[in-house]
Amino acid sequence: MKSTALIVTVVLIAPLFAQSQSTAGRLTGSWEAYPLRGEGFGSGVPPKVRVPAPPPIPEPPLRQPHLDEWRALQAKNAELVRKGLPPPSTGMACMPEGMPGMMQATFPMEILETAGQITIIEEAFNQVRRIYLGAPALAPEDAEPRFAGQSTARWEGAVLVVTTVGVKDSVHFRNTPHSMKMRITERMRLINAEMLENQVTVEDPEYLTKPWTWTWMYKRWPGYKIQEYVCEDNRYFEDPTLRYQRLRVQ
Amino acid sequence: MNRGLSRLALIAIVTVASAVPARAHHSFAVYEPTLQIKLSGVVTTFKWTNPHVYLEIDAPDPKTGDTRHWLLECASTSILNRAGWKFNMLKPGDKITVIVSPLRTGEPAALLKQMTLSDGSRYSNGAAAGKVTIE
Repeated sequence: MKSTALIVTVVLIAPLFAQSQSTAGRLTGSWEAYPLRGEGFGSGVPPKVRVPAPPPIPEPPLRQPHLDEWRALQAKNAELVRKGLPPPSTGMACMPEGMPGMMQATFPMEILETAGQITIIEEAFNQVRRIYLGAPALAPEDAEPRFAGQSTARWEGAVLVVTTVGVKDSVHFRNTPHSMKMRITERMRLINAEMLENQVTVEDPEYLTKPWTWTWMYKRWPGYKIQEYVCEDNRYFEDPTLRYQRLRVQ
Repeated sequence: MNRGLSRLALIAIVTVASAVPARAHHSFAVYEPTLQIKLSGVVTTFKWTNPHVYLEIDAPDPKTGDTRHWLLECASTSILNRAGWKFNMLKPGDKITVIVSPLRTGEPAALLKQMTLSDGSRYSNGAAAGKVTIE
């Protein structure tokens, strides 16, 4: 009888033990993008164990005619920048990056693990993301559109699997359009004590021919305190009339 | 060094643009991509704001010698904090020397590359502003 109870207990607590030995409970803290971005963007301190940089984000596998339109827009924007006439952008208008762009961690980010919830606070644009653990995933058509979308998550052993739907259709990561059927899946795991990997998969049956996938990595920054970034505080350098990013010289 | 050479030394044209890392807010393509100039002047305004800190100085134009009012664009408060700046480090009347890339339009505004205070201490404008290429 005693041995049966012991087996039952072990079976019940085993998943909890597996999590505590892996990623769960170890995400809280500040993180910066890896590879490191240069002076002013992060700590400048390389990881103790050198980790290969993930490959660049590939071109979005858009359906036609969206792919041709996307390529034409990239070329047009590059030419405008070459001429010194950078085109308007949502960032210039101080709009949040939204999902998935906010997870590129242009500036450092803070992750907080609390009961039933993981909260991610991006220093860039003061963006906040709330991920509800164990909550049923929303159907895309039931999710009120938001910049960060609406995220739920579950643990698969050592991996935190986050599903996001309901990203506003005005949020175009890398100028890539999407429908309200877009679903973003992130698989986050610690690859060692200080490095967090985030495998991102974007699916959209209306706009993409296949899943669009890439990996972001973050390095832990112990003790870093996230700073305030109210982007709307100083906009007098924009020229909305000309529709170019421009200083308004007095 | 004669005056002409001295002025020439203030303006240096470089041919290699440095790699441009990611930035949060907007492009710096409105500025001359390869031209850097040195200005020495007096601070009139120091705005510690996001998405960009702004610095205004009165300084002679390197080409004409006439004093102009320059608007200098800096990085975000968070980038500058991480680069060693402080929100109250400058006040009107302070004398500073800066290396900047001016607007392509010729107007008296520029992207800051490096600032030197009167005590000789130097401050970068962060990686996104690019490297200094002149002395």
